[in-house]
Amino acid sequence: MALKKYVAKLNDYYERLEQGKAHKFDPSHVAKVKQKLLAKEDQLINEIADADKPEKIERLQGKLAIARTQIERADWLLEAITGDDTPPEA
Amino acid sequence: MIKKLILITILGLLLAGFWASPEFQEIAAGVAIFLFGMLMLEDGFKLFSGGILEKMLTGATRSVPRSMAFGVVSTTLMQSSSLVSVITISFLSAGLISLIGGVGIIFGTNIGTTTGAWLVAGFGLKVNISAFAMPMLAVGIVLVFQSSKYLRGIGYVLAGLGFLFLGIHYMKEGFDAFKDQFDMARFAMTGWRGLIIYTLIGMAATVVMQSSHATLVLIITALAAGQVSYENALALAIGANIGTTVTAVIAAFSANYQGKRLALAHFIFNVSTAVVALVFIAQIRDLVDWISNGVGIAPDDFSLKLAVFHTVFNVIGVGIMLPWLHRLITLLERVIKTPMPDVSQPKYLSEAVDGFPETIENALHKEVKHLQNNAIELIAHGLNLHRQALYESQDIADTVKRSQATLDIDIGARYDLRVKTLYAAIIDFSTRAGGKDLPPAIMTRIYNLRDSATRIVEAVKAIKHMRRNATAFTRVDKGKSTEIYNGLRTEIARILVEIHKLDDAAPGSQSALWLDEERIQVGRDKANTAKMIESLIRNGEIDPIAATSFLNDSTYAYLAMESLIEAGRIYYVEAETAIAEVEHILTIEDDEQDEIAAEHKTDIKPAHTAPDQ
Repeated sequence: MALKKYVAKLNDYYERLEQGKAHKFDPSHVAKVKQKLLAKEDQLINEIADADKPEKIERLQGKLAIARTQIERADWLLEAITGDDTPPEA
Repeated sequence: MIKKLILITILGLLLAGFWASPEFQEIAAGVAIFLFGMLMLEDGFKLFSGGILEKMLTGATRSVPRSMAFGVVSTTLMQSSSLVSVITISFLSAGLISLIGGVGIIFGTNIGTTTGAWLVAGFGLKVNISAFAMPMLAVGIVLVFQSSKYLRGIGYVLAGLGFLFLGIHYMKEGFDAFKDQFDMARFAMTGWRGLIIYTLIGMAATVVMQSSHATLVLIITALAAGQVSYENALALAIGANIGTTVTAVIAAFSANYQGKRLALAHFIFNVSTAVVALVFIAQIRDLVDWISNGVGIAPDDFSLKLAVFHTVFNVIGVGIMLPWLHRLITLLERVIKTPMPDVSQPKYLSEAVDGFPETIENALHKEVKHLQNNAIELIAHGLNLHRQALYESQDIADTVKRSQATLDIDIGARYDLRVKTLYAAIIDFSTRAGGKDLPPAIMTRIYNLRDSATRIVEAVKAIKHMRRNATAFTRVDKGKSTEIYNGLRTEIARILVEIHKLDDAAPGSQSALWLDEERIQVGRDKANTAKMIESLIRNGEIDPIAATSFLNDSTYAYLAMESLIEAGRIYYVEAETAIAEVEHILTIEDDEQDEIAAEHKTDIKPAHTAPDQ
């Protein structure tokens, strides 16, 4: 389901782009966003390493999972706009 | 009252002049057409704003020489030092350029404005200028009716220039005819008396017409017709230089303290230059004669020599003031002190920033941040928390648990003073911005900022509602009830800390995506609240009354959390729209959380390495 939503958003972007209602982005834009997400990932890893309470570790791991999902999607997006235009199967 | 009296006096003098002399009508009409042309030029250049002008201005003020060069070039192109001064004051008030950059521009405008005299003396008087004016007017007016903003802008500029030329033509014709009827040269005065009186006349004429260009054109055309002596024309030009600062001073009334400083700098510079020119007028005249000989200007071409004089004394003025620039800045900062911030009043929204899309957006962005700061303070205090303690804490839950003391605040009064006032100003400002013809992308960001402000206020109001119970259940330990209320306080505190981290991050490194994590956590906890309470009631860990209070307050708490996150998401969205599109695609939705939890391992080693850039 998560993938479906991502694919739906990407298709919506392409439709809006065709209608002139979206701002076109290129790989450098995706790379910039990915850099920010990687910085967040590093921050969370350091926080987990410093944490001692199990609840805090669990919460931070949940956040890390989200950050990694976003990074993964950034990679998919890069593939979609640089080489293979076919989005991953939903 | 005084303004009305001045207006009546001016109209009276005009009518008297028209009655006394038809040639005076032609001169007055020439001046009016010239001024109308300047207004059209101003409107034309404003249509180019929303990108080009602002990018040039913010880039051009990185150093004093660049600022000065910008002042020279922009004033030459726009033929209006007043317009450039007003733009500079707006940008300075909005915090887009520095004071020293602004002063550099003002120095440059004083040199750039002298090109007007060259245009008239070197071209306007020597050719049939109306022959150029007619086609410019015709083409310009056609373009003015186009739908494209840039074509309309070009139209206004062309038509404006056409009216300028036409105005010069009528002034020239008027003075030529006038000299046959009435010899104004009879009123020529020599010596210091003449210098002072004609300087004052030049100053007064510029104040009335609000244009040093118009005054210079009048002087040059009168000089060419022999209606004023060369010596008196020089004094008039010096007076015009002082009078032009009045426009900047008037613009500064609606500006913040930085704008006022710039207007004062303009006044100091022009008056100092005028004093130097008056004291050394004989020497400067000799210098002008020497330069004129050198470049081949005829000894009796007083119009061109006036243009040389105008340029020379302004360049001398810049040359004298430049080494004292930093001391001037210090003086300005001492005379017009930075006001103590009153957190309850808007700091960035003023009439001075109203004129240009970039200043409007920038000012609104800063004011929403101001509102956010006030709101976060009130939210923290409303929950009996201290922000600094939260930001420095290694264990937020523990910090919240130990924050039991009730902070003695009247949250309602503080909301009215520090949140509602700013919110009202933001709504007013953004609504008025909606009535201007702003570029769509900027308008979207303005409405988004307004929405961010609305969400911030929602968050504060939600905390107002829950403060009483949150305080009652946490100031002493009441077992499970205290624990669950502290849970809510902790969640809200974590969001405040995340927003603080976004603020603290290096510019350009923040991303609204960082708030996805908090948003998903809030969604998860909100969904589990009812089940959690049911379990506590069944186990006898809380009584039903406390449970209903908590359920009610948790609604407010989650509203506050969601509003804060949404406000932050809007506020920290990338200004660069292409990156904002990327962030939108990568945003995780609330209902994707379980799948994500199942997909990802909790291995703390990095899953990705940094890509090669």
